[in-house]
Amino acid sequence: MRDALRLRGVTRRFGPVIALDEVDFALAPGEIHGLLGENGAGKTTLARVAAGILQPDAGRVEIGGQPLGNGGVGVARALGVAMVHQHFSLVPRFTGFENVALFDVAAWTRRGTLRSGYRDRVEARAGELRLAVELDAPIRGLGVVARQRVEILKALMGDTRVLLLDEPTAVLAPQEVEGLFAVLRQVARAGAGIVLVAHKLDEVLAAADRVTVLRRGQWVMTRAAAEVSARELAEAMVGAGVGVRGGGGVEATAGGARAPEFGAAAGDVVAELRDVTVAAGGSLPLRGVSMQVRRGEILGIAGVGGNGQRTLAAVLAGMRLPDSGEVQLPEEVGWIPQDRTNEGLVNEFTISENVAFAVHDRSEYRKGPWLDWAGVEETASALVRDMDVRADSPAVTASVLSGGNQQKVVTGREFLRSGNLLVAESPTRGLDVKATLAVRARIGEIARSGGRPPGVVLISADLDEVLELSDRIAVMVRGRLIPVPREDHNPAAIGELMLSARREGAP
Amino acid sequence: MAEFGALSSFLVAAVGLAVPLALAALGETVSERAGVINIGLEGSVIWGALGGALGALALGPYGGLAVGVLAGGMAALVFAAFAVWLNTDQIITGTAVTIGSLGFTGAVFQSRFGATGLALELPTVPAWEVPLLARIPAVGPAFFDQAVTAYLAYLLVPVLGWFLFRTRRGLALRAVGESPEAAHAAGVPVVWTRMLAVVFAGLAAGLAGAHLSLVHTGTFAENMSAGKGFIAIAVVVLGRWNPKWVIAAALFFGGAEALQFALQAVDADLPYPLFLALPYVLSLAALAGWFGRSQAPRGLALPWPR
Repeated sequence: MRDALRLRGVTRRFGPVIALDEVDFALAPGEIHGLLGENGAGKTTLARVAAGILQPDAGRVEIGGQPLGNGGVGVARALGVAMVHQHFSLVPRFTGFENVALFDVAAWTRRGTLRSGYRDRVEARAGELRLAVELDAPIRGLGVVARQRVEILKALMGDTRVLLLDEPTAVLAPQEVEGLFAVLRQVARAGAGIVLVAHKLDEVLAAADRVTVLRRGQWVMTRAAAEVSARELAEAMVGAGVGVRGGGGVEATAGGARAPEFGAAAGDVVAELRDVTVAAGGSLPLRGVSMQVRRGEILGIAGVGGNGQRTLAAVLAGMRLPDSGEVQLPEEVGWIPQDRTNEGLVNEFTISENVAFAVHDRSEYRKGPWLDWAGVEETASALVRDMDVRADSPAVTASVLSGGNQQKVVTGREFLRSGNLLVAESPTRGLDVKATLAVRARIGEIARSGGRPPGVVLISADLDEVLELSDRIAVMVRGRLIPVPREDHNPAAIGELMLSARREGAP
Repeated sequence: MAEFGALSSFLVAAVGLAVPLALAALGETVSERAGVINIGLEGSVIWGALGGALGALALGPYGGLAVGVLAGGMAALVFAAFAVWLNTDQIITGTAVTIGSLGFTGAVFQSRFGATGLALELPTVPAWEVPLLARIPAVGPAFFDQAVTAYLAYLLVPVLGWFLFRTRRGLALRAVGESPEAAHAAGVPVVWTRMLAVVFAGLAAGLAGAHLSLVHTGTFAENMSAGKGFIAIAVVVLGRWNPKWVIAAALFFGGAEALQFALQAVDADLPYPLFLALPYVLSLAALAGWFGRSQAPRGLALPWPR
């Protein structure tokens, strides 16, 4: 049978960085093909080249045997390629329906006006796929899960023969991941080939028929999912041996060094919210949230993305004042924001400069009225080394780094400010295995450090992460914070809680 | 009809002053919806005025209008080549195009006609009376006894409304202005869409300029655009990027200007320039969202480097 998608010797550079290095890739019709690799390994670039969004510098892309050439998105779409982007490519002010129609040539008459009955077709297709899509609300008012449904429906409106999904599970609760995979299997049964870019090995192994691993822009291996173990894949992704060492480190931190049960030896309170409500600006409110954070503990906050976590993080970081209730925060808060490219870094600045504005007001980085640049650079160099940032020097511009390496810079820098409180918001979202292990280990270490460790609030949609690191756990649902008793610290009970209030809150 | 005399002559003046604003602002609406703010609009207006004058001398008044339109489009093409194609800063590029255009048109005019100070006399575009409608008291002569430029402005409102909100290309154009990344991923050619939108705005502003020289005054003078292009940008804001409100806002600005002239004429003891300032106060209020949520395209003035 003809390949649904074939890349032959595809190379793509971004300036001096080679994102894809003579990569070959084949996708069969009807298969779900997992694409794995560390951050910066080239997974997203491969998907974007296949979708016609990026042009390859060398090599060829064929779709159903037809060359894509330099035709771009239009030609790729005409050949049946659709892509679900990690950060979504929806127009925020348009409604879901408008976004779907914009993408679908078949929605329009020759005169360029909307076909009558197109709306019905969209609703029918959503029904077929069992996707509950909000079609009439502007995208910017929707949570991530609702946005993803629009994005998926948009991708599947036409005669889709190649579906590319970039990290689609990153924003979902476990039960929702299963729902997504059910949709994907249905689409694959109908004959489409699916490329699933993901970073969670077990999820990929559960959903995929075959798996391809990329490392630093190069093809490493392609195997049947049934014949390969998670451990083999992890080793292939990070290079043999490295993964084993990293994994051991995390276990030691999370298991061995775990602080005593909360209550007995926990330190003084470093931050407290009492009945905090945020209503203004409306889409992601907080409703009567109370919490205490103590030194030396990690308070994990789980929840499906879009239930008020971002607002809570903003309040904890001192970025947002509540409409009512009391907030007590230390003077300086370390904050690892979820949106690292916009809130975490100035992309045009070098790593050193990005570090500088976090520490510039400290006496040890001052030389009279001037900033001690030598000291800043020393700190930045140590950060690059300790966090394993893939950059030649701290003089590299932040925008050149891959997402994972940017996150390492933000994380390392915010540790510098975390004397009392660290707020980590999805700190490993979209990171590769090695970077994830490193960031988790550091968060564990900082909370367990001797002397006066900070209190840590870990907000994450990744349940495994919350369970692995946290001393106490609460779940965020529809703007409320629900504490989870210790006996319920398991994926099934918390997953149930994460989804419960959605049912309860439905009209 | 005598009882309507004062009102009627005020309305005639208001509409006459509003037409060039409406034309330039309707064009700019399309450009801004595509995410490009063309501060060089003033340049297109002055080129339109000069092109109209030179064209009218050679080809008659309607030929003049056509030459004016093209001249305005050419100025916008220069702006688009830099600001859209080469991704230079839109504000700085637009300012350069405007100031450069004022200088160039002055130079061309002086080299052609000398710096005599004598007023140039141009063949003007006659008014067409619309049967019946023009006989409505007060309103009729103001709106329906106008030159072809006014009727084109009226016509643009439903045409642009239909295009922007009912067609795929309109949706795509608005997507480019709201989120160029999403538009690109949906297969919309971002750069071409923006180029065409800017050139369209230039053509419309060129017609506005030709209106100034061939309908409004019958002559050309250096700097005769007198800020009309800039005012048009404020009109777009007050009209909240929607053609039907944009033309209403243009009438409002035209009315304020006409009122100012009327008050000057009766020598009332009023600081009449205040009426020129009033519309800008309202534009600021519109920007601040006092008339409902501000609708400025999110990608406005942002470059698209690709």
